[in-house]
Amino acid sequence: MRFQATPAAAGVFILAAALLAGCAAPQVSRIIEQRPAGLPDSAEIAATPFFPQEDYQCGPASLAAVLVHAGRDATPELLLPQVYLPGRKGSLQVEMLATARRHRLVAYPLAPRMEDLLRELAAGTPVVVLQNLALDWWPQWHYAVAIGYDLARRELVLRSGVTRRLTMSLDTFEHTWARSGHWAMVALPPDRLPATAAESSYLAAVAALERVAPAAARTGYETGLARWPRSVAAQIGLGNASYAMRDLPGAAAAYLRATMDHPEAADAWNNLAQALHELGSRAQALAAARRAVSLGGPRLPAYRETLDGILRKP
Amino acid sequence: MTRQFRRMMAGLLIVCMGGMGVPLPAYAGIVSTDTVVAGAERERLTSLLERSEVRARLEALGVDPAKARQRVTALSDAEAAQLAAQLDELPAGGDILVAAVLIFLVLLVTDMMGYTKIFPFTRSMR
Repeated sequence: MRFQATPAAAGVFILAAALLAGCAAPQVSRIIEQRPAGLPDSAEIAATPFFPQEDYQCGPASLAAVLVHAGRDATPELLLPQVYLPGRKGSLQVEMLATARRHRLVAYPLAPRMEDLLRELAAGTPVVVLQNLALDWWPQWHYAVAIGYDLARRELVLRSGVTRRLTMSLDTFEHTWARSGHWAMVALPPDRLPATAAESSYLAAVAALERVAPAAARTGYETGLARWPRSVAAQIGLGNASYAMRDLPGAAAAYLRATMDHPEAADAWNNLAQALHELGSRAQALAAARRAVSLGGPRLPAYRETLDGILRKP
Repeated sequence: MTRQFRRMMAGLLIVCMGGMGVPLPAYAGIVSTDTVVAGAERERLTSLLERSEVRARLEALGVDPAKARQRVTALSDAEAAQLAAQLDELPAGGDILVAAVLIFLVLLVTDMMGYTKIFPFTRSMR
């Protein structure tokens, strides 16, 4: 019997060749070819705790590792009722972020870049990553904790599942990570800025923290202001966190600073008006409220309500 | 006092204290930082509705009602909106491995090529 190359066999061969050619992952290749400035050859955060897990609980286990590393008391068992979704046999990304916030940490989703992931590791911050270990049409979602890397060996080091120190090819990792949309998060105490923090994303992360832990958020805004002193969101946020803690003079001072740096920021004028009103400075409160109304913008109805509120109370 | 009665009272109290069951740390006269950061107008009512919707979904997926309430509270407006809109389509990380033979073979090959990482015994060709 003679071997005959059927079209099907040829197709399989071509497909395999195409797949093999695509083995090296794009972001990793770029980093290896042109090393980003200041990125060390390797790093490993050996002190990252490890909670081995089976049975769908990689979410709580991964989260517990980074929470404990950030100085919080946590175990997968404790986190289970906070983050695990029995009906889905897994944990959702936004609930991973929300649960870190419930432990008074800033939960910061990283930009979808391998370089950012490596920079956080180099800065000593373990990173929770979501991988799809299988395929787009048959997904196997899995959370793990990246704890280190070695560019010479082209490897990433993870706490993953039941393996305390899993080394995985950086290329394989990038493929599995890309299928989750390159999702990664860090959880840090509010006095520590993530190494790759961008202004708007960081302040959104602190604003989300403000809902559950105003005191921690206040520290977070101060941390943000140390890096971006003129950030209007951080200035207003600092005021709002102080206000939530019933520190009215502190709130008014923060709003005032925002109005001085950004006279066009209607939100700052509005909130300043409310704080001054509650402090009993009626004339100043009215002036600030009128300023907010005259500046207008999408939240004009809210400013009008503030003004009316002041006018109603003599 | 019977257990049933106590349960009923507890339920009543939760409804009375929680309004729609999802407390929101919002203050009259103050524009929230969430809103400032989002840079857009956001009706608080929409957010409230989304939150109670998400809470109901969490309970339906097996989360204890009291815990579901706390979990929804910890979400930002944007996150609550995302969950309300597409909770069912979002990935839930959690390791379920029940491979059929075909899947097994496909994954074995893709594992060896470094595309996937299912089997601990495979080493990628790179």
